[in-house]
Amino acid sequence: MGGYGDVQMIDENGLRVDGRGPGDIREITIETGVVPVADGSCRMTWGTNEAIVAVYGPMEAHPRKIQRQDRAVLDVAYNMAPFSTTDRMRPGFNRRSREISKVTKDALESVVLLELYPRSKIRISIEIVSAEAGTRCVGLTAASVALADAGIPMTDMVVSVASGKINDIVVCDLNKEEDNYGEADLPMGILPNSGELVFLQMDGDLSQEEFKQAWDYNMEAAQVVHEMMVDALKGGESQ
Amino acid sequence: MTIPIVPKLLRAHLGELAANDARIDGRDRWEGRELEVEHSVLPRAEGSARVRMGDTIVFAGVKFQIMQPYPDRPNQGGLMCSAEVRPIAGRHWEAGPPSPESIELGRVVDRGIRESGCIDVDSLCIIPGEKAWQVILDLFAISDDGNLFDAFALAGITALRNATIPAERFEVGEDEPLMLSKTPIMCSYHRVGGRFIYDASGREELGGDERIHITLGDDDNVHSLQKGLKGIFTADEFEEIMSHACDRTKELRKLIS
Repeated sequence: MGGYGDVQMIDENGLRVDGRGPGDIREITIETGVVPVADGSCRMTWGTNEAIVAVYGPMEAHPRKIQRQDRAVLDVAYNMAPFSTTDRMRPGFNRRSREISKVTKDALESVVLLELYPRSKIRISIEIVSAEAGTRCVGLTAASVALADAGIPMTDMVVSVASGKINDIVVCDLNKEEDNYGEADLPMGILPNSGELVFLQMDGDLSQEEFKQAWDYNMEAAQVVHEMMVDALKGGESQ
Repeated sequence: MTIPIVPKLLRAHLGELAANDARIDGRDRWEGRELEVEHSVLPRAEGSARVRMGDTIVFAGVKFQIMQPYPDRPNQGGLMCSAEVRPIAGRHWEAGPPSPESIELGRVVDRGIRESGCIDVDSLCIIPGEKAWQVILDLFAISDDGNLFDAFALAGITALRNATIPAERFEVGEDEPLMLSKTPIMCSYHRVGGRFIYDASGREELGGDERIHITLGDDDNVHSLQKGLKGIFTADEFEEIMSHACDRTKELRKLIS
């Protein structure tokens, strides 16, 4: 978190740099079937973030040592394409993408009915081709749409949204500029039908009241995004 | 990349089709798949393109960095081209360090662009001996249904043609378009069912044999050639392919110009 408190990011009317109110999310589009050779796929744009996710499987789990006798394993890889950021992202091993892959896997393994496919593997490839802010949320949300598109049984889809704080004001879904000057970030992975959580991270500085506000913004936004995900799966593109 | 088990049935079927001068998806021998080319599709890249050939989909993105010129060429910038085929692109592509296949892809596309001289490397110099632009072309596969070579080459040259040098961001002058003096285009041919065909699909690659890649410049000048995989071909076969490449590269060049 940058925490440059003297940069004014919210005007006297409470509007943000891109004209949104504090609880508003950026524009989202969702499209399925975008990787024709995959079993399920999703392209999601969220502001100027763009994630493309492909799902392959269930298929044979190899190497054999990753197999589980009683359930399937998820092989989740989150990656940023070299041209996805302002400064070129060098391809290859990177601690940040390893961590995001892991927490995304932990979230998705909580909803996929793994015990239906013992000894098999489901591969989920999350590629960020354009990054703004909040790519982990876009990746996780798009991955649940791709899993549904592949017909993988789940108890619910995961909707991931983040809220944060700028100029001591709690706002939902930080964009790039806000993220640079942000004072806190609270990404959550929400099951929209039950309000339960499968993913939670936070960094920065929030009072108990601010934390509650950020939490509520995320819960509300998750319902809005969930409707778009369902629309996209029912047919064609959702705006 | 794991080597898929080549189904004997597929090979036999492709052989029968070839005997009747037919292809598995109904195309004729020299016909390409439906092609879509879009440029400036990636907001974070200084130049970009998305190419779709049938069910093969790729992105190309151009980024710029400031480099110190090489001591023996103090007045020149550079071009770097790399290809990545990650597991998203197909079930036979695996995670890990770049496979020999994806390295070959990047290098063959790189040679076609570099050797055509379409980028004037002298114009990339900012301060002789100190600062010059390095143009980085990244090729990225989203869906592999065969012939990634041609898709990468076409996306690559389209992205470069639409690239802007971000001089303002690096505080070395004003933004300006990257100038390209030529448009090299690649055409690839695979031996399937005993004879060469143009623009192989995934199934044709799987049940086929050797492949030949040809990059031609504006005046049909040859800029790069590559023969890949096990196989033997004759001079007559090559002549037939080259003559098709001369016609097809002109059509493709018109499409992106």
